[in-house]
Formats: sequence, structure tokens, C-alpha cells
Amino acid sequence: MRGMVHGETRDPLTELRRGVLEHCVLAVLRRDESYAFDIVRVLSGAGELLTSEGTIYPLLARLRRDRLVTTTWRESDAGPPRRYYRITGAGRRALDAFGGDWARFRDAVDALLGEASQGGDAGGR
Amino acid sequence: MDADALVHDYLGRLEVAAWSLAVDRRADLVGEVREHIATALAEAGRRDESTVRNILERLGSPEEIVAAEGEPDAVASALTATPTIGSNTDRAPWGAVEIVALLLLTVGAVLLPFVGPLLGLVFVWLSAQWTQQQKVVATAIVLTLLVLPVLLLFSVGTAAGVHTG
Repeated sequence: MRGMVHGETRDPLTELRRGVLEHCVLAVLRRDESYAFDIVRVLSGAGELLTSEGTIYPLLARLRRDRLVTTTWRESDAGPPRRYYRITGAGRRALDAFGGDWARFRDAVDALLGEASQGGDAGGR
Repeated sequence: MDADALVHDYLGRLEVAAWSLAVDRRADLVGEVREHIATALAEAGRRDESTVRNILERLGSPEEIVAAEGEPDAVASALTATPTIGSNTDRAPWGAVEIVALLLLTVGAVLLPFVGPLLGLVFVWLSAQWTQQQKVVATAIVLTLLVLPVLLLFSVGTAAGVHTG
């Protein structure tokens, strides 16, 4: 139904996810360095943040290219060595900036949605 | 299809979907996804078909993964392309061709009557900076200004001829 209204690629949640996911990954890495599979686990556990887990790899490559994260290979207890991701100074600054932007964005949308629902109630009476 | 064949098939499709990526990046991506599957299987502790199908489903389609690879570039190029589409203001309007065209149309009209402005129009059409519409307008104005005096002279001439005759 959603697809019918917004078109196949215009699901608003998909668009939103795409916009914020990079910073969600940075937020996960701010806590501690981590490897891709673990990042996926945190993001999936946090709710509907990552719908197709495989897309984390292009995203991590992008963060690496933009020098927002660095990587090191580490031996793992089980299986092959793992690539660990660690947030950089630039990554922290990007995350801080996003934190402020996001708060303003969220408040603005919340305020409008709140107004809309109040207006709707008023109109219904 | 058994579990290994499913994984093999999936990675093959990923390889095909990723053909447009740089060779290094493609190898990296396929390696990472292969490792992801291996880790997920190790965690699950089972390698049966439904477990593999579930893991692959969660990964998303190979096409989807590769599409995510191209996204930032698409966005970045869209962002940088947008200003250049609509605005000629970002481009310097005064190249050598444009300056010569304007000189011929103005000073040239005085120094080389008729020939100057016509040459000027040639340079107007050679310009890569001005739009088709601007060129058409310039041509219309110049041709009107060139033809109008001739028509006026002609009509005055015939009027005079009628008068004297």
C-alpha cells in the first residue's frame, strides 16, 4: 500500500534510514571499536534501522573512504581475521554535528506532527 | 539446492551485480559478504538450507547491496550537477568568442557596416556559453536592425519614385 502511494523507491522510512544510518554506525563505534557483523547486530537489535544487512558493507567502505573511521585487522577466536572499525576525530566531529542537526530536525517534525494531530482532532469535533 | 550451493549462487550473483564497481572494491565487497555469511553460519551452529536462506534473506539482494555502493556518488553528482543545469551564472559568460562576438556586433557595426554584425552573429553561434534561446534572440535583433534600414530606404525610395513620377 505504501509503495502504491509513494512509488516503489519512495518509502519514507527507507529514505530516512538511508539518511541517518551512517551516523548510527558512527554512534555504535563511538562506544567501542567493533567489526561489521557486530555493528549489524547492534543496529538490527536497535529496531528497524537496518533492513538489508548486506548494505552495511558499502556504508562502511564509504565511512572509511571519508576517513570517518579507520580499520585494523585482528585475529579472531574463531574463524578468519576480522576487520575492526574505529571512529576517528573527524568521525566524532561529524557525529556531534549530526547530533545537533538531528535534535532540531526531530523537534521540528514532532512539533508539526503534534500540530497536525491537534488540528485534526479540532476539525473532527 | 543445498546450503553450500545457495551461498555459492548468492556470491555469484553478487559478483555479477558488482561488475560496474572498481576491481578492488568488488573483491573487497564479495569477500566481506562471504565472511559475513561464514560468521553468521558459525554463530547459528547449523548449516541447513533454511538457516542459509534466512541469512541470505537478511543480507538483502545482491542488487540492493551494490546499489548502496553507488548511492553516495549518485547523491554527490546530483548535488553538484544541480547548480550547473539551471544556472549560466556560475559559468563565466565572457570567453574570447563572446567578447569578439559583442565587439563585432557593436563596434563592428560602425567600422564594417553589415559585414561586422553578420560576422558577429557567426561568433554568437560559435559560443559554447550562450544558450540556444539567447542566440536566436540575438540573431533576430541583429537581422531586424540590419534589414529594417534597408526596408526603410527602399520604401522611401519607392515613395520618392511615386512622388516624382
